[in-house]
Amino acid sequence: MLKAIRYVLNFEWLAGLSIGAAKNVFLILFVLIGILVLLVPNDYIYQGAKKRKWWFNLKLWALGDLAFIFITYYIF
Amino acid sequence: MLGGLDYIVVIAYLAGIMLLGLYFKRYVHSSQDYFLAGKSLPFWAIGMSIVVSDIGAQDFVGVSGQAYRFGISVGNFDWIGSVPAMLLGAFIFIPYFWKAGLYTIPEYLGRRYNDYVRTLAAVTWIVFFAFNLGIIFWASAKLLNTLMGWPYWQSIIITAVVVGFYTFCGGLTAVVLTDVIQMVIMFVGGAVIVILGLYRVGGWDGLVDKITAQGASFQDYFKLIQPTDTKTPFPWTGILFGLTFVMANAYMIGNQAIVQRCLAAKSEWDAKASMIWGAFLKMFIPVLVLFPGLIAIVLHPGLEDGDSAFPLLVRELLPAGWGIVGLMFAALLAGLMSSIDSMLNSTATLWTKDIYEKYIRKDASDRHYLVVGRIATIVLLIFGVMTSPVSQYFEGIYVAIQTFLSFFQGPVFSILMLGIFWRRATQWGGLFGLVGGITVSFLLYVFKGYLFTIEDPFLYVSWWSFLAGLVIATVVSLFTQPHPEERLYGLVYRLAERRQNVA
Repeated sequence: MLKAIRYVLNFEWLAGLSIGAAKNVFLILFVLIGILVLLVPNDYIYQGAKKRKWWFNLKLWALGDLAFIFITYYIF
Repeated sequence: MLGGLDYIVVIAYLAGIMLLGLYFKRYVHSSQDYFLAGKSLPFWAIGMSIVVSDIGAQDFVGVSGQAYRFGISVGNFDWIGSVPAMLLGAFIFIPYFWKAGLYTIPEYLGRRYNDYVRTLAAVTWIVFFAFNLGIIFWASAKLLNTLMGWPYWQSIIITAVVVGFYTFCGGLTAVVLTDVIQMVIMFVGGAVIVILGLYRVGGWDGLVDKITAQGASFQDYFKLIQPTDTKTPFPWTGILFGLTFVMANAYMIGNQAIVQRCLAAKSEWDAKASMIWGAFLKMFIPVLVLFPGLIAIVLHPGLEDGDSAFPLLVRELLPAGWGIVGLMFAALLAGLMSSIDSMLNSTATLWTKDIYEKYIRKDASDRHYLVVGRIATIVLLIFGVMTSPVSQYFEGIYVAIQTFLSFFQGPVFSILMLGIFWRRATQWGGLFGLVGGITVSFLLYVFKGYLFTIEDPFLYVSWWSFLAGLVIATVVSLFTQPHPEERLYGLVYRLAERRQNVA
């Protein structure tokens, strides 16, 4: 019983996944978040902004952040 | 170790910060001015303040110590442990919190669930912040003792007096705007030691070559993703499930010290932008706090205590008497003070709004609550100073803080998430989810030796306690009566908009 609990709690059921595959999981996560960011309605993004200019578009800011972190995890 | 120009730099910094606090006192006329800066802050100041509040002198010591022991995998905390969570906060949670006109996260939980949940969350955070103050004070005193030979209590008292003064006078405005200055000083000071250190070890290539040449155990030092059977506390499963999915979100979305700044933004757009701008700045933090640990592996291999790596480096690399040590010293003080001022102001807000105003004196004047907030600031400061020696019983300072966090963060985030995304979540679901999750956290931690294979399983504990909170809250909600829909407008994601669209 204790062995089964430890197997689950310690994620031993994922131990078979290689480090390369695990790295891809992280990279895919960043891409998914990017897609979700793109799906946020523009009206919602600009709420409270002084002007509706492209540089106030927070989607672009967020995609910049994601690009940065994607590259970091791709390299390391 | 300080000498000549160094003293002038440090004294100018301390005096400048105190004068700034005194200056902002003139803008504090109400409790909203004190706790939320009169809702007037721009995104760039909030973003910088979030970053510098989250990172302190203890991170220079603790994270560089972890990097010395385990390599760059500790950088996960500032990269994947921040960016996705800050984006989630920016686009989903923060706009709702801001529009609701909240002062505190427990206030949201009270409106969404009930007063029991609010009080439990508020008390939990007050206790956590109060003891965390002690940990930060002690970590910094240890650093200053190693660097300057200062007695522990001398460092603690000097820091407490300066921070207490400007936080007491200027409230959140002083906290955030001094944080802006402190962030610049911290980045410059941190960059100096990284540049000098890299130059000494032969640049990036020299650093990598010299570390990996030290043996088989150093081969994974430049890998962010660690295997599940790693000897470090950072297996990739823990980083993904515990850190990315739970602790990061809980910290960036459920942490009063972080969110309170966003609530003080001058517009909804500024509130959202502050998080995204903060996420960008956050990605540079590992360079400042992690690289010194790696450089120390080359210059001082075989240290017994990884936490002494950074202080040793400062003593060795920086020339005394030219103001550079003074700048580094000011940077460390800046990191320390920015963390402490955030906790003081946030805890005073929690105490005043969620406990005092709710249970002790309901209908007092606004002036009265302003005074209570200021007194709470001073009382907490004294408590933090007095409890600081407790933290020495933990092996790694950084791990100690995370261990505290992992007890509460998962369950709190589980009910925050259900609260904003699932209108069927009920008041009793929220309460049982929170209490049940914390209980599971506690039990997992107590029996960690039997249940977990890694030495410090705080990431796993946070994931499983989050899951427990989520399951308990869901099950109890399905068997209990939900709030009427009208009560949930503005508290559940797009609930009012969905209703309008249907109509």
